[in-house]
Amino acid sequence: MARLAEETRESWALGLVTLLFFVFLIFPIVVVVAVSFTSANYVSFPIEGFSLRWFHRIVEYEPFIDSLWVTIKVAFASTAIAVLAGVPAALYLVRWKSAVSEYLMALLLSPLSMPMIVLGLALLFYLSAIGLGISLTSLIIAHTVVGLPYIVRTVAGVYRGAPPDQEESAVILGASRWQIIRYVVLPQIKPGIFAGATFSILVSIDNLPVSFFFGSPSTSTLPVVMLSYLEHQFDPSIAAISTVQMLIALIGLIIIERFYGLRHLGTPE
Amino acid sequence: MSGKNAELETMASTIGARAAVRPWRLMGFGYIIPSLLLLAAFFIAPLWFVGEMSLREGRLPPPGGGLWQNYERLFLDSFYFGVIGETVVLSLVVTLICILMGYPVAYFMVRHASARLYNLIIFFLIAPLLTPIIMRTFGWQVLLARRGLINEGLMSMDLISKPLSLLNSPVAVVLGLVHVLAPFMILSIASVLSGIDRRLEESARMLGASRGKTFLKITLPLSMDGLGTGAILVFMLANGSFVTLLLLGGGSLQTLPLLIYQQFNTTRDLPFAAAMSIVLLVLALVCLFFQLRLIRRKGA
Repeated sequence: MARLAEETRESWALGLVTLLFFVFLIFPIVVVVAVSFTSANYVSFPIEGFSLRWFHRIVEYEPFIDSLWVTIKVAFASTAIAVLAGVPAALYLVRWKSAVSEYLMALLLSPLSMPMIVLGLALLFYLSAIGLGISLTSLIIAHTVVGLPYIVRTVAGVYRGAPPDQEESAVILGASRWQIIRYVVLPQIKPGIFAGATFSILVSIDNLPVSFFFGSPSTSTLPVVMLSYLEHQFDPSIAAISTVQMLIALIGLIIIERFYGLRHLGTPE
Repeated sequence: MSGKNAELETMASTIGARAAVRPWRLMGFGYIIPSLLLLAAFFIAPLWFVGEMSLREGRLPPPGGGLWQNYERLFLDSFYFGVIGETVVLSLVVTLICILMGYPVAYFMVRHASARLYNLIIFFLIAPLLTPIIMRTFGWQVLLARRGLINEGLMSMDLISKPLSLLNSPVAVVLGLVHVLAPFMILSIASVLSGIDRRLEESARMLGASRGKTFLKITLPLSMDGLGTGAILVFMLANGSFVTLLLLGGGSLQTLPLLIYQQFNTTRDLPFAAAMSIVLLVLALVCLFFQLRLIRRKGA
């Protein structure tokens, strides 16, 4: 009995700490969503009244809309390239087990561990030196490097869980290499590709430390424009655009949950 | 009949032999080449290029500056050396707070939460990771402002008589970084905690150890791998973070990423910025080395 009571007490105490932690985690985000609906001219919380004026304002503010297009183009183009390069690499590394493959996997995932600001600076120097300079192409290349590890990691995670039996059966039954990839492997790894691509898109949309180096009127992404806006003005339009951006991320998150399951993300490999 | 058997046997042995000599492989080495080329051209080469650039003459060459002049300036000038120190100390403080805050949460979600609550917690840990970084910083700016909710709250409780300048202070930076990084810590600890064999704890309890002692002698040591992985990850990310520092620190703290940003934006001393990048890179590589060792150990 005493032991049970002790356990209940522990459960309540830890539950309380967890609850407080989530208040800490979520509250600042809720504040921004609330501020985006304010009717006031200035940022304040709690808000004075309800209005959608700041959402109108961001639609009318050209730099936000222009940079949103740049952001979307870069996110999708870089993710497409990362999928084309990363998926075959992940498939190969999962089925080929050796000391070398372990190092190659570490290499493919290593952009994740690099300080983004270093990567951004390095790519700017280098791409300028080889003549690409500040351009949409440069931006897409930079984002591809950042997105590749996400694709490789999720696809490898899914493929590792798929037993090779089906492929072997297909070989014995005389399927060609292409048929096996098309009809056996691809259906197996589809959730991994979707989840990895969604991740890569979301990470690209919110990337500031790399995009920042490639900022120019025609190549500034949304976070870069938001940062420079925030450095000069402090009004609720930043809250409004953040809310929109968060909505996009939430949709992405639901897609990942559908295809892949968020629980798998909790366990690093 | 025997002919059929022999045929099957030959077939089986061929398949077997092939598997023994070299397992059948769907993917050839060619499959990995695009990725390797991509990284060689746009990841390794740029980093190499920065390394080379860091050895060029900077804008402010110290007297008699040689090949390593930018690094000499970075490590011998007390201001710049202080910046490196501040970067590391800040990351250590943030990591420590993340451990202290994150462990109880991870423990709760693995040991006390129902399956549904567990999934809900995972969702609420990951969702903030995907909310825009500017949004989270902006939230703290609103809360910590002079007339913000926190100052007003403290004043209405008569804890303070006039508003504290919370914004643009180290406190704001630490809050902002812990807010961004704590989920990584919790996820790392939780994944290891959920793999611990509970019978070990049960045995300790049955042999008479108290709850506290069981935790300290059994659970905590067994979860050290998760703690280590999380700590390295948080430390690494804190070292490289710059948006939080820029918007919440307001110059009250100087760290390497912030200094790189300034060198690039205003001073335009590119070789010196390159040298700072290399120092930050080496810090990251050291972290990566320990991380790989931990993962290797877990796998063994």
